[in-house]
Amino acid sequence: MSLNFYRRVAFGLSLNDKKPDDPLNWALNQVNTLPDLLWPGSIPSEKEMRKKYGEWVYGDRKILRKKYKNDKNAYKKAKDELRIKTGERFFELNEHAIRHYQTKNSKQPVFERFWLFWGNHFAISEKDFLAEFSTGPYQREIIRPNMIKTFEDMVQSVTISWCMIHHLDNSESVGPNSKSKQWNPRETINENHARELLELHTVSPSAGYTQEDVIQLAYIMTGWSHKWSNKELETGDVWFDQDKHQKGEKQILGVKYKNDAKRELFKVIHDLATHPICIKFVSTKLCRHFITDEPTAEMINPVINVWKNSDGNLVEIHKEVIRQAFKFNNNTHKFQPPELWLMQLSKIFDLNIPAPAEKMNYQFEFKPSRRQQQLTWWLEEIGHSPYRAKQPNGWSDFEVDWVSPELLLRRLWFASKILPNFIKKENNGHEFILKCLEKNFDDHSKMAALIQNYKLELTKKDIERKYGIICNLPGVLKV
Amino acid sequence: MNCTRRNFLIGGSTTLFLSGFFPKLSLASIQKKNLIVISLRGGMDGLTAVPVIGDNRLKKLRKRLILENTLKLNSDFALHPKLEIFHQLWKKDKAAFVHATNIPYTGRSHFDGQNLMETGAHTPYTEKTGWLGRGLLASDIIGKGLAISLPMPLLLRGVPQNNNFFPSPDFVQTKLIDSIYNEFTGAHNELIRSTFDTIKKRPISMQTATNSDDRDKLALEAAKQLKDPSGPRVAVFDLDGFDTHAAQGGVDGAHADELEEVNNIVNILYKNLGTSFDNTLIVTLTEFGRTIKQNGANGTEHGYGSVILMAGGLLKKSQVYTDWPGLKKKNLFEGRDLDSTIDSRAVYNSAMSVCFNKDPDFLRREVFWGDNLPDLSQELFKV
Repeated sequence: MSLNFYRRVAFGLSLNDKKPDDPLNWALNQVNTLPDLLWPGSIPSEKEMRKKYGEWVYGDRKILRKKYKNDKNAYKKAKDELRIKTGERFFELNEHAIRHYQTKNSKQPVFERFWLFWGNHFAISEKDFLAEFSTGPYQREIIRPNMIKTFEDMVQSVTISWCMIHHLDNSESVGPNSKSKQWNPRETINENHARELLELHTVSPSAGYTQEDVIQLAYIMTGWSHKWSNKELETGDVWFDQDKHQKGEKQILGVKYKNDAKRELFKVIHDLATHPICIKFVSTKLCRHFITDEPTAEMINPVINVWKNSDGNLVEIHKEVIRQAFKFNNNTHKFQPPELWLMQLSKIFDLNIPAPAEKMNYQFEFKPSRRQQQLTWWLEEIGHSPYRAKQPNGWSDFEVDWVSPELLLRRLWFASKILPNFIKKENNGHEFILKCLEKNFDDHSKMAALIQNYKLELTKKDIERKYGIICNLPGVLKV
Repeated sequence: MNCTRRNFLIGGSTTLFLSGFFPKLSLASIQKKNLIVISLRGGMDGLTAVPVIGDNRLKKLRKRLILENTLKLNSDFALHPKLEIFHQLWKKDKAAFVHATNIPYTGRSHFDGQNLMETGAHTPYTEKTGWLGRGLLASDIIGKGLAISLPMPLLLRGVPQNNNFFPSPDFVQTKLIDSIYNEFTGAHNELIRSTFDTIKKRPISMQTATNSDDRDKLALEAAKQLKDPSGPRVAVFDLDGFDTHAAQGGVDGAHADELEEVNNIVNILYKNLGTSFDNTLIVTLTEFGRTIKQNGANGTEHGYGSVILMAGGLLKKSQVYTDWPGLKKKNLFEGRDLDSTIDSRAVYNSAMSVCFNKDPDFLRREVFWGDNLPDLSQELFKV
């Protein structure tokens, strides 16, 4: 078996990792249980973070805008201070540290790879202040615990999570025959969340649903909204507001749903999450993520079968994806998107990434330090800030979306200009890099020959060239 | 007055008369012509950008989104006040608009819609290349595309060796590429290898570091490149944020902020292209328009018909070119959206034919599978 399997389903091996005797079982055994989050620094709860979100929007919208309505500059200054006081400038940095510490140090790195996959399947794109306050906690508290349950459980939790409800505007959706509509005739349904639940999260357009199906699902979803209050604004808990709910029977993809208030949603989610087209769509996406851009029926069908036989048990599904990734490991190529590449380099070369927890202490007094901002900044610069996908369909799994002059140049930039500064002191020297290559790449001697000229590390430039070259070789950009 | 279904098309018959005919190489066609496409992602609201002032129904349906101080274009249409440069250019016959138009897509999904606005196809995700990329390839214009964004937009794919400009914070040694280039062998490494080829051909000014958050600087560099006779002939800008389900607002709302960005880019291009602006055509592209009616959050929902904003010296004259469908309930698409009466791909096909000096009928067959797209170059552009 080729060594790239450890990068295909995980992040590669660090020098301290023991090389597994049985790579397939090593991987399979990692997805049974939910690993703890290891970050020694602060891990705030979703609820806590929503409160911070509320403090920020309330402070800005309700207080500062009124207070400084005639003084643009004073308003700007006060707003900047509020950003610091509420942690608006800080929390995303901390989330990136939690995430990258986990992928680097987890005892179940294969589990973490699936975590990244699901977080992106149920993506929260860049909207309002979600990336600053909510997307990270959502990934930890909504996505993660469901990874040892069923796909249906995951869809349910995601659909009624505050983060997704806010992201796709469902709180603004009001049924045309609801009580709320009578009080306020201007209110209407908002189809956004219903459409994405069909298109991105479950059955995909290949199910052939119509605009009417979208509207009907939006009707079922009316009422699922944040509890609004004057102080919390839109950051209250999600609840089912009967007054906004569209009454009467609904029909989606030919199935009728009787008038049953909040229970309607769980029934339709059950039908969507177990729909054969949904199973095929998501199985294909899993194979594409781990195996190759255009997975074949030979790869996908075993996953579909396991899905059906296990009633959508994600542990079993993950295991089958691993088996297929193992089976096709030596004759497929899979491009590694920038964040994943960075995580793998961080693991393989044991880089000082993320910043240590004690450096991530934040006092809500001054703007975050340079060290605190670094990881987030790099992720943006290499084109893959994980919680800021541009659209609700998340980041692409296709190579063609990741290869452009600038994106390749930025990898060269990161590998040569940034990475060498984050190698631990004890790991300086040519021997270290050779050992890391040997542990992770079958053609390590060929790779070593390419950097032979710089082995003496006479100047800083030599080290820059060495890592610039190694990290951008075809076998490192891809598995 | 009430603006109902009316035909603003003048000289429609000349289209037929001239179809299949394309002038031989003239002086104008020897000069390099630039085509600039600005993608407006999220669904640009044509009725906010170019409101119809001749129809009271718009005001009735959008009580909270009413615009003040619009810039008058003619008796029927006005311009959003943030699109100020378009108004200036309008007065010089260098701005025009195609209204009640869009790609033939009525599904109202961003992802499907954006896929189709870029591929020009009928079914989402069936095509892997963009209409602009195919148009360049069919016109034998290779390596002349420039994307002002970090990922390469689908719109430009289909022709090799495009460039993109969104510089990294430090100078990157392109020498490093020489050390790894030969390792990229085999078909599965072809994409990366050809991208390295593109990088190696970049002019020096594109190799210097800058701050890519500064959109002005990016537009400035694009203008500099486009002005160069041996530089790119096509540039693509990408803007998002037009999906204003909430707080769309009027003159100062969320949609206005986005329009201001478009205005800013066009302004910089205009100021810096100099005389090359006369040989330039700027067009916008979006996946759909928005519902006529405002929703409960003072925003609008996904709709159908929108508007194409155009600027540049290759325009024939200042005009709002439209086959206006009207805003009466029965005129609306599915009773809710401004209808699209012009397939916007006809505009893009005609624009490519003018900028690439190619017969529109040839491009229509090569790029759009021979779809029925009338040649509008006589009406819209200087041929």
